[in-house]
Amino acid sequence: MIATALRAHDAAAPEIAPVRKPTDRPAKGPVPRARTPEAAAMGGLAVTVRDLSKSFDGNTVITGLDLHIPAGQFVAVVGRSGCGKSTLLRLILGLEQPSAGRVVLESDAVRPAPKRIMFQEPRLLPWAKVVDNVAVGLGESGTRAERRARAQSALAEVGLSDKSANWPATLSGGQRQRVALARALVSRPGLLALDEPLGALDALTRIDMQAMIEGIWRAQGFTALLVTHDVAEAVAMADRILVVENGHIAFDVKVEVPRPRRRGDPDLAALEGRILDHLLQNHAPA
Amino acid sequence: MARSPISDFRASAPRTLAPLLDGATQRLTPWLLPLGIVLGWQAASSAGLVSTRFMPAPLDVIAAGWQLGRTGELWANLWVSTLRALAGFAVGGGIGFALGLANGLSRASDRLTDTTVQMVRNVPHLSLIPLVILWFGIGEEAKLFLVALGVFFPVYANTLHGIRSVDPQLVEMGRVYGLSSFSLFTRVVLPGALPSIFVGLRYALGIMWLTLIVAETISASSGLGYMAMQAREFMLVDVVVLAIVIYAGLGKLADVLTRWLERTCLAWNPAYRTV
Repeated sequence: MIATALRAHDAAAPEIAPVRKPTDRPAKGPVPRARTPEAAAMGGLAVTVRDLSKSFDGNTVITGLDLHIPAGQFVAVVGRSGCGKSTLLRLILGLEQPSAGRVVLESDAVRPAPKRIMFQEPRLLPWAKVVDNVAVGLGESGTRAERRARAQSALAEVGLSDKSANWPATLSGGQRQRVALARALVSRPGLLALDEPLGALDALTRIDMQAMIEGIWRAQGFTALLVTHDVAEAVAMADRILVVENGHIAFDVKVEVPRPRRRGDPDLAALEGRILDHLLQNHAPA
Repeated sequence: MARSPISDFRASAPRTLAPLLDGATQRLTPWLLPLGIVLGWQAASSAGLVSTRFMPAPLDVIAAGWQLGRTGELWANLWVSTLRALAGFAVGGGIGFALGLANGLSRASDRLTDTTVQMVRNVPHLSLIPLVILWFGIGEEAKLFLVALGVFFPVYANTLHGIRSVDPQLVEMGRVYGLSSFSLFTRVVLPGALPSIFVGLRYALGIMWLTLIVAETISASSGLGYMAMQAREFMLVDVVVLAIVIYAGLGKLADVLTRWLERTCLAWNPAYRTV
């Protein structure tokens, strides 16, 4: 399992250009459009956003935003609250309609993989057993027995196979969020959007969940889009970090630290410091 | 994986006798008060503290019940009343449930009908009795109409409220995860509305008996209410009290049934789990 995970990652690595040269400064600017065939074969979706704008009742939240995310990349979006990062995610997922511009999701796979979102709250159906909650992620495809079998194996991936017959009310917060993760993963998504999914968890559970999400991402090769206000989390998990400010991307930086990443790595800490400085200095108190 | 959920459950279930005894005490506690009242009442009657002309002793009531049960009169009346109650409940509850669903799911339907329903709701349905007698006489239709009308409103209002109060986050989740409208309804909206629908059901069952008894008392030629009215004419106080005791029993029965339904259908909800 771990061996395949590492191989899948190594294969996808070339696009995260010079991995083992920590002296290279993170590059700013447009990301090369190279898409690795391996990631595409696993159904990762490439995201292209062109001149995207969104306003609610006259308040502009996103202004003329351009972005390309190659298939299989792990992108973290950070920013102050109200900067439009969640709106960007919802626009990419198609949960909101853009006021202008467009979002294109592309896949080289014959059957494009679905896009899934993990919310800040678990949003489990309290009246469905854990396994049936996971099966919701499969929609209507297949027979009930097939859906349950696939849900059961997705639960095993998040380490909760023994809870499959429980009611969600009997689980802890971290376990519920793992069930939500299994539900998001059970359909083998090409794009997984994570809307601050770990914000409500305690610090230790959060670190476990980060490792779990990272491991599954490396094994499955989907495109991951993580919205978070925790810069340390973004730095620890992502290939690339986007800092969103006033509805546009103010800062686009690659994280060139090889995986598995160690907590407290000086390169990560330096990058976290840079991003935090950026966030703080550009937002002087009025 | 190897352990089935059922064996898990059994393993955690109590196995000693002490909890069972505890359970029996807990089951009996609610009956202590009614039993005490009946015993006190009997004692007061036997001691001559209460005039049996106005308030018969419990033993007399039981004797009257025995007598009416043997002639079959009691069962015939009980059966007629039950049929009426259930028929009215099915009609009124069915329409209320359907309209509640329609108005909860469709803005257009809500805009068209809700105002009217809210206006009619505030008319006490028993005030329609004179009108209903004029329309239907004292036949079955009158009772059916009144019970259906009484049952309609609580079922309607609570179904509508239940659907409106389904967590929008769950609905959004269902949409994002590609559930069809039908699946969204059966797997998210309806289960979410169920606790509220059960509240409506409880109210409706109470109103069902109330309406029927009143209707039967005023205009009927059979049924429990009729039996009680006939007994009053002949000053048979024990039969009147018997009828009242039966109403209490029926109310309790309806309550037990709803509780059982709630425990079965809402097992996921910690608030309804068996104590």
